[in-house]
Amino acid sequence: MAIRSLKSGTFSRSGLVGNSVIMPGSYESIASSTLSSTTASVTFSSIPSTYSHLQIRISSRSSFAFASMFDSYLAFNGDNTYSGYKDHILYGNGASPTTVTASSYNLSYTTPGPTQTASVYNGVVIDILDYANTNKYKVAKFLGGADLNGSGNIVVGSILWPNTAAINQITLSCDGSFITGSSFALYGVN
Amino acid sequence: MALNLFKIETAEVSSNASSVTFSSIPQGYTDLVVKFSTRETDAGSFGHFGIIFNSDTGANYANQHLRPDGAAVSASSSSGSNYIVASYGNAAGSTANTFGIGEAYIPNYTGTNQKRVNIESANETNSATAYMFLTSGLWTSTAAITSITFKQTLTGVFVANSTFTLYGVL
Repeated sequence: MAIRSLKSGTFSRSGLVGNSVIMPGSYESIASSTLSSTTASVTFSSIPSTYSHLQIRISSRSSFAFASMFDSYLAFNGDNTYSGYKDHILYGNGASPTTVTASSYNLSYTTPGPTQTASVYNGVVIDILDYANTNKYKVAKFLGGADLNGSGNIVVGSILWPNTAAINQITLSCDGSFITGSSFALYGVN
Repeated sequence: MALNLFKIETAEVSSNASSVTFSSIPQGYTDLVVKFSTRETDAGSFGHFGIIFNSDTGANYANQHLRPDGAAVSASSSSGSNYIVASYGNAAGSTANTFGIGEAYIPNYTGTNQKRVNIESANETNSATAYMFLTSGLWTSTAAITSITFKQTLTGVFVANSTFTLYGVL
């Protein structure tokens, strides 16, 4: 197997050429969960403060029946004071894009339920930068949505938690409950 | 092999700085990523900062932008610019302790094509008005990228606790 030198970009069959240190990747899995039964919320707790950033990857579907895809929610450190957050989104569904703001912690319009195409789960990636920096209010940005095989949503957005505390707990929930097969993964980014 | 990031360098602003530069960037990765969290001293709620490569301050950049703010979506573009717009950035008039965040993705930074960068940023201010800023930027040079500079484009500077983290992608 050829080995690539990160320093020079050259390839060699020898690990001794330009590879004095084997560097681990910056992503580390902190916790993950795939639901085996319907669950109202998923909480990652005791999050270490030792990383630079966090990333959450979600593939989920809700038990909530609604005419269109609906919301999931992201709360920090057990603060589920809905109006205590601010969020902004850009939302598209194949027609004119729309931008919306609210005092909430919504991952808006990202989650399919029983009214939508069967077996379709969403995909959402959430980045939280400088989550342990106590000089900063915390901000998450996300990209998510689902294609329902003929319709669907794409959403980019951001959520502000006006609190300088280090984030040590993240709770994900939705209208209704997350159904079996929904998966959630939390990564630390060095 | 799974895609992974490898941290190259972190820059944290300890006192006001008009620019932050990553230099001597290793050439062995496939792509580059920069994650940033910034606040600026410009008056008003939002500032403005950009990216230049290899210290090129010439009119060799082009931009495509999409900017939703919670009330309307606007689009804009430019060419012959002196930088690629990275973000509006939270400024002195925005709520204390709010910092904008963003991520720049630079594919094939050592290739011989003109260089591109995709940037997504969010400037939450704890108020109804906030910007997301989505950018597709072009540097018309075919040179390999060896340095990246984030520079203020108005009169402000980056304040303490602004952070930039450069990653290589394999």
